[in-house]
Amino acid sequence: MMSVTCQNVDFGRTVLDLAAGGGCSSSVSFGGQFSIWHQSKGFIKRESSNRGVNGSRKVVCCRKEVGRCQVFSTQTPEALLNGVVPGPPPVLDVKREAGGQVSLPSLFEVVAEDLQTLNRNLLSIVGAENPVLMSAAEQIFGAGGKRMRPALVFLVSRATAEIVGLKELTTEHRRLAEIIEMIHTASLIHDDVLDDSDMRRGKETVHQLYGTRVAVLAGDFMFAQSSWYLANLENLEVIKLISQVIKDFASGEIKQASSLFDCDVELEEYLIKSYYKTASLIAASTKGAAIFSMVDKFICQEMYEFGRNLGLSFQVVDDILDFTQSAEQLGKPAGSDLAKGNLTAPVIFALETDPKLREIIESEFCEAGSLDEAISLVKRCGGIERARDLASEKADLAIQKLQCLPPSSFRLALEGMVRFNLERID
Amino acid sequence: MMSVTCENVDFGRTVLDLVAGCGCSSSASFGGQFSIWHQTKGFIKRESSNRGVHGSRKIVCCRKEVGRCQVFSTQTPEALLNEATGPVSLPSLFEVVAEDLQMLKQNLLSIVGAENPVLMPAAEQIFGAGGKRMRPALVFLVSRATAEIVGLKELTTEHRRLAEIIEMIYTASLIHDDVLDDRKETVHQLYGTRVAVLAGDFMFAQSSWYLANLENLEVIKLISQVIKDFASGEIKQASSLFDCDFELEDYYKTASLIAASTKGAAIFSMVDKFICEEMYEFGRNLGLSFQVVDDILDFTQSAEQLGKPAGSDLAKGNLTASVIFALEKEPKLREIIESEFCEAGSLDEAISLVKSCGGIERVQDLAREKADLAIQNLQCLPPSSFRFSLKGMVRFNLERLD
Repeated sequence: MMSVTCQNVDFGRTVLDLAAGGGCSSSVSFGGQFSIWHQSKGFIKRESSNRGVNGSRKVVCCRKEVGRCQVFSTQTPEALLNGVVPGPPPVLDVKREAGGQVSLPSLFEVVAEDLQTLNRNLLSIVGAENPVLMSAAEQIFGAGGKRMRPALVFLVSRATAEIVGLKELTTEHRRLAEIIEMIHTASLIHDDVLDDSDMRRGKETVHQLYGTRVAVLAGDFMFAQSSWYLANLENLEVIKLISQVIKDFASGEIKQASSLFDCDVELEEYLIKSYYKTASLIAASTKGAAIFSMVDKFICQEMYEFGRNLGLSFQVVDDILDFTQSAEQLGKPAGSDLAKGNLTAPVIFALETDPKLREIIESEFCEAGSLDEAISLVKRCGGIERARDLASEKADLAIQKLQCLPPSSFRLALEGMVRFNLERID
Repeated sequence: MMSVTCENVDFGRTVLDLVAGCGCSSSASFGGQFSIWHQTKGFIKRESSNRGVHGSRKIVCCRKEVGRCQVFSTQTPEALLNEATGPVSLPSLFEVVAEDLQMLKQNLLSIVGAENPVLMPAAEQIFGAGGKRMRPALVFLVSRATAEIVGLKELTTEHRRLAEIIEMIYTASLIHDDVLDDRKETVHQLYGTRVAVLAGDFMFAQSSWYLANLENLEVIKLISQVIKDFASGEIKQASSLFDCDFELEDYYKTASLIAASTKGAAIFSMVDKFICEEMYEFGRNLGLSFQVVDDILDFTQSAEQLGKPAGSDLAKGNLTASVIFALEKEPKLREIIESEFCEAGSLDEAISLVKSCGGIERVQDLAREKADLAIQNLQCLPPSSFRFSLKGMVRFNLERLD
């Protein structure tokens, strides 16, 4: 039994925040048993599985404002696989694992050091230029934040590196992860301005603290800085790939802004918008990671498709959670997408069956209680279920795309992420 | 004597707006004399030089709301080349790249307009009435001037793309700069802010994508560097409003955009490294000189001439070169600025202080110094109408001070 302490646990919007923010690192292995937890806002409950040998259990409790958590991790990913201590990568048998739920820190454990290095680098890159950005940077990067995207880059980097016998990650790999996180953060800052949001991850947004203009300029600076690092990677293919993403972000923002409350929006358009806003960045980062591992084109393309399907799956799940979670869990009012007129998968499906919903939406919720009515309608007529099917479909595709990778703890972790995402809506 | 008529004259902030917006084209040549004009808001006064042979003179008058102007251009650029000094003819400066500018404008409108109705309000405002095209004009002039060296007959796609990229970046930054900072936003302001953020993001994104697809690592790195510096300078300035420790070095960052564009133009002409570097220096010195003159005029021109209250940079807490120099001499000025002009009459007092302690003279010297350097940087180019126009721009800028 072993306990680890991690600083700066950030209870953000999804459990992925915890995983990424925790950055816990444990390297002892045990037989059979593991502790897992679910996050709900404010504290962690512990569930454990009764597989295998006994292991000690301890109540795990983290509060939001406390910067530390104690976690009992009783197995490494390799051990989770078949209950033995780590050795050469074993044959993967995902289904056997499927009965229990996945352990989050263990998903990112294998790249925990990479993530820590990234955290330090980001703080110094962004803050060094400018005191205003430094305090914005601390606010954005400080409390753990979501590190899902960089974790994906590291996992794919390491998983593909194995193919060509590359022992260590390259500078380009690391830089890529930093660039991706900067771009993501820049887009969040601008999103908050566009949505006029006061809070993000439980803290005031940059524009709430420093004003709209500074927030816009801060986002611009981070886009510019990431473009500069990108240029200095000196790889034209990756430069073009990532520039496309930035262009897609802008297109996605515009598409969304111009189709608010538009009940004629089709699923295909929603998928394109979701691609632009979420999946494009993930796909480009997983492909970029493969490119820097110098594996062949086919694998790079499979990694792109993996990222794309994973990204779409994430977005759909996020959209579902906006309906199904309580305000407390979400950290913001439920149904906020719908309230703004942003029609997502559950709504689009529901609109196919219920004409009343269209009326309410087109009224832009001018009547009191109409938003709640709309949310119930969506739930009642199967919108959520169909959206869940969509998320599963994309998840299955993502898993398939991983098959070109040799079995490894990294590939396992990547598969774990796909499944973990789906489990958010169980 | 020849008269030309041009549509859509836009009386923007500086005379350069006039030139760019006009796109006049004249191609007859005459001896010796030329008419020039200064712009003040609303109309043009004519001054003429008495050099050389007589030429007819006619009063030139353009009003802001009228979409036409009549201009008497009595010399071509080559002819002007032989004149040692004397005020320059503006339309002729950009005349030689007028078609390039026209094509650019059309391309930009279609890039922005094609995307989405949401951007249209911003697009119309930006690209509608002629607008300022100084930066792309510089790219075209340097492109053509350097192309001559290597015998390149026509501008390349890369040249044109570069000009579009620079204009998009500059425009995007203007749009974002205009974003309001009032946290209690009214619906209208919020709508305006959202469109502004979207339009600016879109243009930054487009320009970085086009840049990547130029597939020239040197230019990609160059432009990314300056965009980064530019953004860093902007945020520093935005967050240092009323901050008396704001330094001149940061103030210079905005000039680097011009420098990168003139260097990029030379790179795409495939001239040798030395000339590319000289073009970088030219752009930088010219850019600094322009910026500094704009800042001086903010103090010295009347509200009527500027089209906005005098000292408006200072009022916003935006400390320009004149103020930075004055702060070195005048401690009282620091107090007033740090008070953010909360007292009535303090802005006027600050303006007088800046004027009285020689801040403006020092900056005028700085403008001249940079202008001289810029002219020197042009010497590596063979004489041509393009090089002449580039020199003309340098001199023209200084003449705004007279």
